[in-house]
Amino acid sequence: MLAIDDIHVSYGRLRALKGISLTVAKGEIVCLIGPNGAGKSTTLAAVAGGVAATKGHIRLEGKDLAGTRPEAIARMGVSLVPEGRHVFGTLSVAENLRVGTYMRADRGAVAADIERVLAMFPRLRERIASPAGRLSGGEQQMLVIARALLTKPRLLLVDEPSLGLAPKIVDQVYEILLEARKQEGLTLLINEQSSHRILKHADRIYVIRNGHIQLAGAAADLADGEAIKRAYFGFGEAASSDANEEEDAA
Amino acid sequence: MIGFLQNLADALSLGSLYALAALGVGLLFGILRLVNFAHGDFISIGAYALIVPSFEVTAQLFIGTWNWSLMIPAVTLIVVIVALISDALVFRPLRRANAPTLMIASFAVSYVIQNGILMVYGARPKAANLWSGLDAPILLGDLRIPLLQVVTIGVTLALMALLTLFLKRTPYGVMMRAAAEDFRMAQYLGVRGNFVIGLAFAISGILATAVSLLYLSQTGTLGPTMGVPLALFAFVATVIGGMGSLLGAVVGGFLVGFIVIMLQAYLPEDLRVFRDAFAFTFVILILLFRPSGIVPTRAFIERV
Repeated sequence: MLAIDDIHVSYGRLRALKGISLTVAKGEIVCLIGPNGAGKSTTLAAVAGGVAATKGHIRLEGKDLAGTRPEAIARMGVSLVPEGRHVFGTLSVAENLRVGTYMRADRGAVAADIERVLAMFPRLRERIASPAGRLSGGEQQMLVIARALLTKPRLLLVDEPSLGLAPKIVDQVYEILLEARKQEGLTLLINEQSSHRILKHADRIYVIRNGHIQLAGAAADLADGEAIKRAYFGFGEAASSDANEEEDAA
Repeated sequence: MIGFLQNLADALSLGSLYALAALGVGLLFGILRLVNFAHGDFISIGAYALIVPSFEVTAQLFIGTWNWSLMIPAVTLIVVIVALISDALVFRPLRRANAPTLMIASFAVSYVIQNGILMVYGARPKAANLWSGLDAPILLGDLRIPLLQVVTIGVTLALMALLTLFLKRTPYGVMMRAAAEDFRMAQYLGVRGNFVIGLAFAISGILATAVSLLYLSQTGTLGPTMGVPLALFAFVATVIGGMGSLLGAVVGGFLVGFIVIMLQAYLPEDLRVFRDAFAFTFVILILLFRPSGIVPTRAFIERV
């Protein structure tokens, strides 16, 4: 479904991605694990059209996304839930939920879908008329996920769904993502800083650090976590090659 | 007492014009972070669109002679087209530019429009008589209020109500509010960025047209920079109202109108020439006590 081929992204002089390649097959749950600043968010933003790659290709079902506007990519069925809960704070919960439905062709189905999503998130139904800015962090996280689901995506990109949330709420968020995948054949690409929860759910895992993919594999093969730990913290050979590269960059 | 009520009517009608102009400025600032100095020139265009292009001192009305039901849409269309063209030619290529760059670009647009007017209509101010029937006063006891003031206030309230309904009740309105708050997130949800910005320019143009027609009927004079002072007070209104808040823009507009008229009425005669200096002193005082405006928004702080 999604094929990222050797993309490079820079913010000014800072090179955020230094050649990332990964694939996501239809129906898969793929997880990108890595420390803060590794390039996870940038990777998702690049797919969603929020940042432009200076080199490399991103293909969605074979179509190169270079130069495509974010709204056009959204209309192709890709929805990004960015890090940091970007709710529209002065809009009500109901309005937040509707924003993403205006582009849909099946406008008739929207009301029923909103009903269905509210059944998944009863908390949101209670707060339906409040400004989204007044919701708690957990409620806001639910709102952005509900809002993304209402765009009827085929590929959902979720940036750190567990950041700053209580474990119980994180479990709830994952339950809903898994449920949506089962019901609607959703494909998921998820970023996380820590691997222990995602290992249970993901099909495949990429460990990303310092703008590079350090490790890729099936979640089942990496289940003991040792290889991930090494790749994540950069012990061994990966570390020395990295050091060289930083000198090159300087 | 009668004198004060008279002044209050003046303040409300002048405040209406400032509020309408401030809404046009505030709308674009909210969505694009553009401080549009060309807004005053959109207002001038609306007035000049009524007359036959010539260098004569007495303006000959052209569209201005049409029935109002035809004339208002025609003038509005012209101003909206000018607004959309300035977006397409100037601001669209600058989508990724920062706020100061956009503002400077708007100075350029303003300069081009002013000089365009100079080329086509000449530099001299022109007299033009629009809607002279509106001069008739309405008598409320001893109070004489020109019909035009009532119309001005009425039109302003109606436009504000319409804009509010549009923003709250229609899909495009919700998209615009979403985009004003978090443009990139709105795009991620499929909201077409250029479309909502175009929409904001169009609405800004509609509001500018209302100001130009009402202002021209009040003053009866056209000049190539006639809209500039209006826009200047509109900026002041958006700043003291709270940049990024439309409610703030309206409140600021009425407040500035009130301050200006009351200073005009009650300052000692010798000091009246310095009216605007006193008005801006008030503005400075307001900003000292409420630096983020009367109706503060987080939007501005977050973006910067």
